[in-house]
Amino acid sequence: MLLFQSEAWIDKWCKRNNLPRGEVLTIDQVWELSKLWYHNRLSLEYHGRSAEQVAEVFREAGLKSEFWYV
Amino acid sequence: MKDILLWQTRHFIYNHFADTTRPPSVDETAAHFNIPTEEATEYYKELHNRHTFFLDLETLTVRMANPFSGIPTDFKVHANGKTYFANCAWDMLGIPAALHADAVIEAVCTESGEKVEIEIRDENLRSTNYDLRIHFPLPFARWYDDLVFT
Repeated sequence: MLLFQSEAWIDKWCKRNNLPRGEVLTIDQVWELSKLWYHNRLSLEYHGRSAEQVAEVFREAGLKSEFWYV
Repeated sequence: MKDILLWQTRHFIYNHFADTTRPPSVDETAAHFNIPTEEATEYYKELHNRHTFFLDLETLTVRMANPFSGIPTDFKVHANGKTYFANCAWDMLGIPAALHADAVIEAVCTESGEKVEIEIRDENLRSTNYDLRIHFPLPFARWYDDLVFT
């Protein structure tokens, strides 16, 4: 996942690399997603996530488009 | 292979990253658990196969234990008096989330090359540029096709 100063820079990058545009989130959206995704990563009890658990994290983060289908 | 030791190995590797900013070698892990290197090697390979972390191709060196990177990247995270490298723009935020710590993040815009600084304090994000965007090039279903590209 790559960082850009604004949407316009993403368009330039996609055009220059001849790649389609994927999903674009604001830095605040990704911070909220990070807290949900990584909060327990250092725990001994964390053994990865099931597909259902991944889908639940995306739902909680408000990511509901087809791009986030598990 | 002992299931308890498998997950303890995962836990040890992640917390070694958090404590030292780098992954432990397989020999260090074997010494920590007082087990043969061959047994620690089995755990490394099994955890890699389960996508728990990712080894460099045909080595036992941990390249990615998301959000931590085993190699320097453009995503530098200062937290708890240490400097970590993150695998990507998402993971640069994942490090303070995993550590539950304040952080200052130094990164660069992929296309312009301009430096960007982001601060996490008391779980709130601040930046001099609130137009910042993160681009996810592939849908979730394809993330593991090519992890380095993702």
